[in-house]
Amino acid sequence: MASVAITPMESNFLVPNATFFVELAAFALLLFLLAKYVIPPINRAMTRRQDAIRAQFAELDEAKSEANAAEEEFKSQIADARHEAARIREEAREQGAAIIAEMREQAQAESTRIVEHAHAQIEADRKAAAASLRAEVGTLATTLAGRIVGESLDDEARQSRVVDRFLSDLEGAN
Amino acid sequence: MTGLISLTGLLPLAAEGHEEEESTIQIGHHRTAEWLGMTFNTDTIISTLVAGALVLILGFVVVRQMNKQTEDHVPTKTQILWESVVGEVNKQVNDNLGKVHPYVAPLAISLFFFILFANWLELVPTRLNDDAHLLPAPTADTNLTYALAAVTMVSVWAYGIRQKGTKGYFKHFLEPFPVLLPLNILEELTKPITLALRLFGNIFAGGIMLSLIGLIPIYAFWAPNLIWKAFDMFIGAIQAFIFALLTVLYFAMAGAGHEEHELHEEYEEEERRKKADAAHADEAAPVPAH
Repeated sequence: MASVAITPMESNFLVPNATFFVELAAFALLLFLLAKYVIPPINRAMTRRQDAIRAQFAELDEAKSEANAAEEEFKSQIADARHEAARIREEAREQGAAIIAEMREQAQAESTRIVEHAHAQIEADRKAAAASLRAEVGTLATTLAGRIVGESLDDEARQSRVVDRFLSDLEGAN
Repeated sequence: MTGLISLTGLLPLAAEGHEEEESTIQIGHHRTAEWLGMTFNTDTIISTLVAGALVLILGFVVVRQMNKQTEDHVPTKTQILWESVVGEVNKQVNDNLGKVHPYVAPLAISLFFFILFANWLELVPTRLNDDAHLLPAPTADTNLTYALAAVTMVSVWAYGIRQKGTKGYFKHFLEPFPVLLPLNILEELTKPITLALRLFGNIFAGGIMLSLIGLIPIYAFWAPNLIWKAFDMFIGAIQAFIFALLTVLYFAMAGAGHEEHELHEEYEEEERRKKADAAHADEAAPVPAH
């Protein structure tokens, strides 16, 4: 009786039999093994790689900003150098102008000095010439006049009177 | 055509079809063994062990590969397969449960891989003759799908009770209205049954289709066989995905009781804001026209 009732049940594929418990145990074991030994390392590896990628990105950003900063610095230095060069050129030009002006002044002074010196020299020469003239022209003239007039003009007093008159005449003629 | 007719004749009970003729298709027939007065479907058990062993081998291969290469972060193909599944499941679990739950995520991953491999065993041509099918898909046996659904639903209920407390969890059955209590209980009971039978039905039907295609004369049978197996592969993957996804969603539903209300309120708030914006826009619209 019992076997008759059970036989159609056995063949009905919607009704589970004891295989159910085997499947339950098999899947539980699979779940345990995967959850304990397989999935944690995979999660760790993924996290590690993500961290590595994140770190690389951070490094990249850092390097980029560093490069930018270096470029900025380079540019500013170039600009500074240009500025400096311009300043130096300007300074040199000013200095050159100043030197030229100074030299010109010096030359001016020198030439003035030379001219004055020459004037003084000439004056001195003229004075010396006048003095020697005054000394010698008297004797020379009296000698000459004595020869012409035949009269000795050796008298000192007369001689000097004659000479003075001559000289004052000379000056008056001037 | 004759195949189809004999199939419809066979559908209710497969046992009688056994001795009819060569080209019969046997539905729900398993090689069985009796032990301690219980019946075991040996072919399903063997297929289960094969599928499980394949998953485990693949898993441990990946672990070994990952241990080998430490500095160089380039993953192997197997690793990419595992990591994409693990990453996707983690994302789903995180989106639905608020965090990568240390039990739910491995459960969904195990379900996905195990069901995937079990489904794809169907594609391996191991059917020697009508009586000896070495590796039928174990998911075409309700014993396996019931077992998986049982694991899932018991876990879901345990999770729900732990998240909200016994009182809070059972109070949820009276919401939104106490009148809906029978429906809520029914919903909770249909979850494991649909979960199990959806998977079973899909894979079982795939097997029947393969058997039917096998009735086509040998010179013509390769084309539909090829097409159907490709499609069956797709179905197998989809079913594994659905099972794992629904598992995660059932966990989310069990854990978050008031989320729907909040979502509804947010939606209403959003609508109100939109209306206000629209009204504002109407008022503002004539101004630029001047």
